[in-house]
Amino acid sequence: MTRRALITGVAGQDGTYLTDLLVSKGYQVFGVLGPNPGAFLDRADGWDGAFVGVQADMTDAESLRAVVEQARPDEVYNFAGISSVGQSWTQAELVADVNGVGVVRLLEAIRDLAPGARFCQASSAEIFGRPSQVPQDENTPISPVSPYGDSKAYGHFVTTTYREAHGLHAGNAILYNHESPLRPVSFVTAKIADGAARIKLGLTGDLQLGNLDVRRDWGYAGDYVRAMWLMLQADTPGDFVVSTGVAHSVRQVCQFAFARVGLDYERYVHVNPEFFRPAEAEILVGDSAKARRDLGWEPQIGFDEVIGMMVDACLGRLAGASF
Amino acid sequence: MKRALITGITGQDGSYLAELLLDKGYEVFGLVRRAATPSTERIDHILDRLTLITGEMTDQTSLIDAMQQSQAQEVYNLAAQSFVADSWIAPISTGDVDGLGVTRILEAIRRVKPEARFYQAATSEMYGKVHEIPQTETTPFHPRSPYGVAKVYGYYITLNYRESYGMHASNGILFNHESPRRGLEFVTRKITNQVARIKLGQASELRLGNLDAKRDWGFAGDYVEGMWRILQADAPDDYVLATGETHEVREFCEIAFSRVGLDYRDHVVLDPRFVRPAEVELLLGSPAKAKEKLGWEPKIGFRALVEMMVDADMERLSR
Repeated sequence: MTRRALITGVAGQDGTYLTDLLVSKGYQVFGVLGPNPGAFLDRADGWDGAFVGVQADMTDAESLRAVVEQARPDEVYNFAGISSVGQSWTQAELVADVNGVGVVRLLEAIRDLAPGARFCQASSAEIFGRPSQVPQDENTPISPVSPYGDSKAYGHFVTTTYREAHGLHAGNAILYNHESPLRPVSFVTAKIADGAARIKLGLTGDLQLGNLDVRRDWGYAGDYVRAMWLMLQADTPGDFVVSTGVAHSVRQVCQFAFARVGLDYERYVHVNPEFFRPAEAEILVGDSAKARRDLGWEPQIGFDEVIGMMVDACLGRLAGASF
Repeated sequence: MKRALITGITGQDGSYLAELLLDKGYEVFGLVRRAATPSTERIDHILDRLTLITGEMTDQTSLIDAMQQSQAQEVYNLAAQSFVADSWIAPISTGDVDGLGVTRILEAIRRVKPEARFYQAATSEMYGKVHEIPQTETTPFHPRSPYGVAKVYGYYITLNYRESYGMHASNGILFNHESPRRGLEFVTRKITNQVARIKLGQASELRLGNLDAKRDWGFAGDYVEGMWRILQADAPDDYVLATGETHEVREFCEIAFSRVGLDYRDHVVLDPRFVRPAEVELLLGSPAKAKEKLGWEPKIGFRALVEMMVDADMERLSR
């Protein structure tokens, strides 16, 4: 029988990659589109009948119940969320309502209407904010340092609670940063890739960034959605760190991106203190040994390659736009 | 005159805290929900000395209004859906009030009076599946109920507003604290109330879920004094308020029944309906930091607490 999956936040980077993966595996995919599906709809066209777009809102319990009833899913992936740490400082309440309480609403709908479904929550390395150990693993104490991290800790804990108390096959993918050409420019990697491409094409002269020494464990989105799919194929639910285990600095991202277009980043990148966050998460590096051991997962695309891919996509897009 | 705003003023802790602050000469404002039948029974005796402001933890505007009207220098956020069992029935609204509500009041303070001092009522339920015994301010959280999850969020957002905006915002991680004003949905009051009814011939049995559950139980009157001390400290910080002792529900029953000359074994019936979906493990708090930094320690011991509650229920039901 055809397996059925429900993906919230499907129009985002991860939803797009996961839909690609699931459609290739023969799933019927129901995706919650959200308010601005944009270019996603063009891509969805290519999946034909294997993809059905639906509407619901993480702040509206009844709308989530309706899509769970319609999809009758075997697997649910919760990718809906406000993913900007910066926005969480100006809209802390909304971010918590969507990213935290929204998970409660979705779990309640599943518990009531599809209790046999398996659930994957896209948790985040930001829950470790100020980590007591480097690298972090599934047992590292949670200590977020932003309203975004707080809201993701909420979603994380409630997923664990519903697994332990209600026996749901529910687990957290503790995702470290993962990038791709689908990243919007609100993310620093995409901003840098876009900046390098624009400078190369002579569209702009410089690139303003915040703290260049911030280090992150960056991977490739296509690899990370595969880990989440594997999580739901495992007999036992659990929480898994999904990461490369290697940290790169924003400075290195600049090096990779500008090298791709044959330029020296130091001539173009300027540090602007305005972009510093009120409280910056410290060294976030994930130890994904559990996922590698229990799920047989490992990342396949190196980070310099991801950045190169992103710069190439920007060059293609900007060149196309100039016609 | 100092001004304080208490959310949840009609609750057990709110009423004790209001009394304490009035005694210290504060002008006390209390946030209350609009209701056809206001439940002010715990503060009726001090009502003429309080200023009540109508508002909701789910409504940002009413919290901003409460800050503007009170111009409070100290804000105590005690409002919550505080019953763990109900959080399984209403997990979403528990999150809205106990979690998001904290963000809303912090925002109200930040906009109206950012120098005000803020106390957040955190809870031992955040430790849930405990990582160490006893629990301290550095013990990792592992909540086991929608209530615990929402309170963890409230804790972190308080910490974030302190660190990021420099607000004087502190968490008091309170272990169970009881009193004759505890609501009947809580096991302690349920026991003492039923003991009195059995003694007075109005009932014959007491149905309970798990007699082996252990808690660190103190007296609410002591704990609100700890809250006040937390806000008097020069630097904001997080503190465990606990007795450092643990007792079984069984022991609570023993003392309560023997206070009226009865044997609990003759009256207590185990009822699986009262067992929680996921029971928390041994919650035992270390009040060492509060003692060292604030000079706080509980004054009323376990036996005195149980007896005080039984006596109050006997008196109330005999009237």
